[in-house]
Amino acid sequence: MLQAIGAAARLSRTGLSRSLPAFSTSSRLSAEDPARRKEAPIIDNETVFATPEEAKEKMTQAVAITVPTKVDLSSISGVPEEHVKNRRVRIYQPPKNAMQSGTNNIHHWEMEFDTRQRWENPLMGWTSTGDPLSNLKIQFTSPEEAIEHCEKNGWIWFLDVPKIEKDFKPKNYGVNFAWNRRTRVSTK
Amino acid sequence: MWSLQRMLRQPLSRALALSPSRLAPLTARKFADQVQAQPDNVELFIDDKPVSVPPGTTVLQAAAQIGVEIPRFCYHERLAVAGNCRMCLVEVEKSPKPIAACAMPVMKGMRVKTNSDLTRKAREGVMEFLLVNHPLDCPICDQGGECDLQDQSMAFGSDKSRFTDIHFSGKRAVEDKDVGPLIKTIMTRCIHCTRCIRFASEVAGVDDFGTTGRGTDMQVGTYVEKMFLSELSGNIIDLCPVGALTSKPYSFAARPWETRRIDSVDVLDPLGSNIVVATRTNEVLRILPRTNEEINEEWLSDKSRFACDGLKRQRLVTPMIADSRGNLTPVEWEEAIVAAARALRDCPPNKLLAVAGELADAESLVALKDLVNRLGSENACTEQYFPLEGAGTDLRSSYVLNTKIANVEDADFVLLIGTNVRFEAPLLNARIRKAFIHKETDIASIGPKVDLTYEYIHVGDSASIVKDFATGSSSHEALKRLESAKRPVVIIGADQLKTPEGPALLAYTQELALRLQDKLADKEWKVLNVLQRTASQVAALDIGYTPGVGKYLQDGPKVVFLLGADAGVVTREALPKDCVVIYQGHHGDAGAAIADIVLPGAAYTEKRGTFVNAEGRAQQTLPAVTPPGKAREDWKIIREFQIPRFCAAWIQRLPATRLMSSVHLVGGRPMLRLPVRGAIPAFLGTPTSILSPNYVPDCHSSFATR
Amino acid sequence: MKEKEEQFSFTSDNLRKAKKSIEMYPKGREGSAVMPLLYLVQEQCGWVPESAMRYVADMLHIPHIRVYEVANFYTMYNLKPVGKYLIQICRTTPCWLCNSEEVLNTFKKKLGINIGETTKDNLFTLKEVECLGACVNAPVVQINNDFYENLTPEKVENIIAELSSK
Repeated sequence: MLQAIGAAARLSRTGLSRSLPAFSTSSRLSAEDPARRKEAPIIDNETVFATPEEAKEKMTQAVAITVPTKVDLSSISGVPEEHVKNRRVRIYQPPKNAMQSGTNNIHHWEMEFDTRQRWENPLMGWTSTGDPLSNLKIQFTSPEEAIEHCEKNGWIWFLDVPKIEKDFKPKNYGVNFAWNRRTRVSTK
Repeated sequence: MWSLQRMLRQPLSRALALSPSRLAPLTARKFADQVQAQPDNVELFIDDKPVSVPPGTTVLQAAAQIGVEIPRFCYHERLAVAGNCRMCLVEVEKSPKPIAACAMPVMKGMRVKTNSDLTRKAREGVMEFLLVNHPLDCPICDQGGECDLQDQSMAFGSDKSRFTDIHFSGKRAVEDKDVGPLIKTIMTRCIHCTRCIRFASEVAGVDDFGTTGRGTDMQVGTYVEKMFLSELSGNIIDLCPVGALTSKPYSFAARPWETRRIDSVDVLDPLGSNIVVATRTNEVLRILPRTNEEINEEWLSDKSRFACDGLKRQRLVTPMIADSRGNLTPVEWEEAIVAAARALRDCPPNKLLAVAGELADAESLVALKDLVNRLGSENACTEQYFPLEGAGTDLRSSYVLNTKIANVEDADFVLLIGTNVRFEAPLLNARIRKAFIHKETDIASIGPKVDLTYEYIHVGDSASIVKDFATGSSSHEALKRLESAKRPVVIIGADQLKTPEGPALLAYTQELALRLQDKLADKEWKVLNVLQRTASQVAALDIGYTPGVGKYLQDGPKVVFLLGADAGVVTREALPKDCVVIYQGHHGDAGAAIADIVLPGAAYTEKRGTFVNAEGRAQQTLPAVTPPGKAREDWKIIREFQIPRFCAAWIQRLPATRLMSSVHLVGGRPMLRLPVRGAIPAFLGTPTSILSPNYVPDCHSSFATR
Repeated sequence: MKEKEEQFSFTSDNLRKAKKSIEMYPKGREGSAVMPLLYLVQEQCGWVPESAMRYVADMLHIPHIRVYEVANFYTMYNLKPVGKYLIQICRTTPCWLCNSEEVLNTFKKKLGINIGETTKDNLFTLKEVECLGACVNAPVVQINNDFYENLTPEKVENIIAELSSK
């Protein structure tokens, strides 16, 4: 019995002990040797003046450990369940347009969904689709951000990583006129 | 200054040391690996940011390293430096004139200003001159929306034109040139950047383009009306910065902002070049290359580029069954599957034959083999033959390109045996040519004398030469070069192996390659390469298909399942009279013509399929459009046969995870790199049969095709 | 419909001269001999047919287009057939100041052709060229390889008569 009280008392060894009605605080004081203490125990004003609800919350916080849980927004994001379960997201860096030399618009990461059916609408000839995510292409600065986003929304994703980068080779105007090499050009 | 002097001294000493002959390819020449390693980097400042680059780099490349992109028209990183457009002019401190960044090598302590007043004025001036004679064709030009001239004039040009001569003699006009049915030329728009000329001369190897006339009357063209006969000719459409060279099949089809671009992989040649499929409203408009340094760099062969219009023609859009008179009549899916399943069920196990065609993806290959194996038959084969003597197809290295495509560039001697690489794998030929030009690689060929766009030593035409090479008894120069090379490459074409001498040829080639490889210092370098002809062969051999159909046809099968087998290897005459032929494919070709039951499948732009290229790399095509009519994805059709209600009870349904894992373990290494995270991937997710009324139409067009 | 041109080949004399020109250049650099060879072709035929350009290209082991480029760049290579007498009239300032326009008009009237055209009997072709370098005796005309200087319209008529009768 004493053990139980002692155990309970140990649990509640906070400044709140005074306000807890269930256990006698005297047991706590008697467990310790009063002679060993040099000063009176310091009592925090906030804990004394806290309402019972606040006090309870504080206590749970003191003993509880916050564990990061997997965020799952799929039920509240508004995306229909079949488009969460059956769609696959591709995370990639957009390829450079083969027809142009500029590369300013390819330094980010994008996510897009697998293509679903599109057809020509007979009224106007515009493109119709039954896929609500057909135009969803979100841009990110890094693949990790994109992965995090997909995880939060519950989509299956895969990372389409480009293969090796080109070895940097210095270009030289002089090789066009190399005396004996095949790099000698005959064109202008 | 010091590095400049050093640079000038080097070629002079080399010139004096070497023999001047360029036409005799067998003279000893310094190979790339004997050149000394580069000394320390040079430091310069671009827009006050320090950059450290190897000496000899151009200012444009140094700027690109720190993310400053200098505008250019004529410079292209895979072509020789021309320096004729002058758009890359940048200001350098202490120099009164701007310098062409694409050609000027960096010097220590150079201070480059890419956004100063002088630079801006230079760019505006160049742009003004370019636009003086450029026609106002933007509304009718195909390049609009993806035009370098448009973008750079908006970004770097001035807002007004001072061209007053428009009221007098006006702009110059140039006649259009006819270079073939694929490239549309409107030479008035040409800005004379000479990229097409350099490409034709260096990469394509077909010196057809040049500049005729001079001054204002200069014209880029072939001078005589000549077709640009290169298998890489379509790439000049990409290279041309303006709309002078455009794609004739794609002319006036669409604007680039209207199209949706899906990254995919090409399956019309064995290399698996990466492509971008541009679509609009469920039709494929054009196919462009995607940069992949290891396979196709930035180029694409003409076959892959222009074959997309065939995707709309001669398609199989409904399942068909041959009626009593032998004519194929359209039926519903249910009927076709039931008929096929009945045939499969009634067939004795060893009389069932599955033949895989040229464009079969790995998923359907696995599904078909599993189906056939479940039914008790081991007869799954490919159309293309490969010798089974010796190791046969047990070792992967005996049927793939072991020296990867990218490494062929570093070879110092290449031996081609019985292969016209130029037409079998154009981009591999482009790589060999790149090595020929930049790394001074020499090439020898055993086979018919063909034009490979580079000079090569023609050793001879007979297969016995391979035997002599392998045993070392030949005294040919090429053999000596091969043996003394540090990185030799031997490429044998798979088509040669289907002749009666094929096995011997392969054996001797392997012996030669082994002999060469043993004495190499570089243990990582692989010598033997077998160039397959089709995109599906390597995957099929990996999965366990037997190459070659002859043996099985002799046994007289009762049911033949053709998976896109259109090469004409299986003919009606070779089969017994009562044989049922089930054809699953996407075009009405030779296979569908001899079929009794036709099941329409999806083409490579319409399905997600894994294809293993000639070097053993697995890549996935992604669906860009949906298959027309009642066509479905191939593996889903084959899976239908596993649903119990159609077949006898002893055929069990293959669980989706088993299919997934079997695909994973192909070839001993993961073929589908999907981080599945525990869930079954979506493509295997839909449990409903394609025949059920609840079928979710994700790849099904409910509208009839035109 | 273009008629097929006859395949060109050098006469044995010209072939010898051509080989001598090629030998002037180092082995592997035969392409540099393209200009003397094209001039030999012009001396042989009077003009440079396309088949000759291809012949020269094959002789020098360079791509055909490189020869087309050179032949087209220099205006002295005639790319169309010319008459027996190629009349090249100087059209630059010194001659013009000395009335070369009248000389030109006389030629045009007498021969009945315009610049760039050839007479029906294939005798004369008219061509305007830049300064011939004999300005002291302007106006000057070069006919084939001879200079005719200090011209007047009468002298022009005499020249034409003389050449037509030859």
